[in-house]
Amino acid sequence: MDKAAFFLSLVLAQTPQADLRCVPTGEDFVYDCSITLTRGGQPLEGADVTVGADMPSMPMAHNMRPAKATPGTKPGEYKARLDLEMLGEWAIKLRLDGPVRDLLVLHYEFDSKGASPSKR
Amino acid sequence: MDDYALGVLTNIGLFSFVALSAYLLLIAGEMSFGQQAFFGVGAYAGGILTALYGWPLPLAALAAMALGALAQFLVALPTLRLRGLYFAMATLAAAEMARILFELLHWRRSIDGELAGPDGTQGFRGIRWIFEHGIEPMHYLGIVGVLLALVVGLFLVVERSKLGATLRGIGQDPELAAAVGIDVQRVKLGVAAAAGALAALGGVLYAHHNTYIEPRNFDIMLGVHSLAYALIGGLGTAFGPLLGVLLDIGVLESTRFFQGYRMIVFGGLVAVLLVFRPRGLLDERMVLWIRQRFS
Repeated sequence: MDKAAFFLSLVLAQTPQADLRCVPTGEDFVYDCSITLTRGGQPLEGADVTVGADMPSMPMAHNMRPAKATPGTKPGEYKARLDLEMLGEWAIKLRLDGPVRDLLVLHYEFDSKGASPSKR
Repeated sequence: MDDYALGVLTNIGLFSFVALSAYLLLIAGEMSFGQQAFFGVGAYAGGILTALYGWPLPLAALAAMALGALAQFLVALPTLRLRGLYFAMATLAAAEMARILFELLHWRRSIDGELAGPDGTQGFRGIRWIFEHGIEPMHYLGIVGVLLALVVGLFLVVERSKLGATLRGIGQDPELAAAVGIDVQRVKLGVAAAAGALAALGGVLYAHHNTYIEPRNFDIMLGVHSLAYALIGGLGTAFGPLLGVLLDIGVLESTRFFQGYRMIVFGGLVAVLLVFRPRGLLDERMVLWIRQRFS
């Protein structure tokens, strides 16, 4: 491993990583989501997570009410209900406070089956 | 104030800058479908300067405004030779070219061991100046509000000045304005540069509020909406575009009363207003009536 790759791995080890899984609730555009947070490969627990969303193709025009995530049953897991305005690609914004303060933006495609990471 | 209200108000403020830039061109008689390009220029320029080169945000905003003004000036040089629908189409084409350029823009630097900067269609993450300087959402709303108030104040001063009368004269009848000795082309180029700077200021503020931008943020939807806000709100005063933004984002969107049908309601509203009030709710006649009533 060269020096740059080593430093990059150190930085990435400190940067929180997030994974999102959502299932439709049955109500139009409402999803129950599970967020898994890790840092350095370890579950990130005790974080204060607020979930917001914006549509990349229509910035500023869709104002989703930010949802406070609650701790889930697994380590590093948080649960939140997202009430979106329509199907399509959404930029999910995770604001982390507590043991680590950060802002993460994830791009997911929401459809009638759930959410999957956007393909670019 | 809760996070939701803060977010809605900040978005109303941010959208107002680009709506005001469309309004400025409209009162000079030009309809631009391309203000989103200069909003994007501001967003990218401001983000690059703060995130990659460590510039303070106020300085980056000034530089981005200068770049936005230059960009729109350069676009206006050839396009202002066109009139009406042809000018509108040319601005839309220029904006799409700008969006494609953003898709091709790769300007990555290693910041603290991590690559940062615009990465084409993958977007530009980590515009964190606001976050790193501990500016809370409420304070950021205050910054956006103060800047917007300054811009609207400047508009009100200009509109009551000789320059304001000149702009409206050019907008109503450019041939007549030229006949009385006004250099119409020169004034319009100045207006275009000012509109570019204004849209770029909105873009810088948006990029730092959002912390992430991507080329798709600056597509035609943003341009159409900013123009529609100016037309709905009215061309009689700078409060018109703000009213347009408030009606759509503040009422139609935020109340969720028309959830799922908002775009239909919004489109219908634009169509009805263009028929019955072609210069918007706060048109020149309405503004005159309000002034007479309250003066």
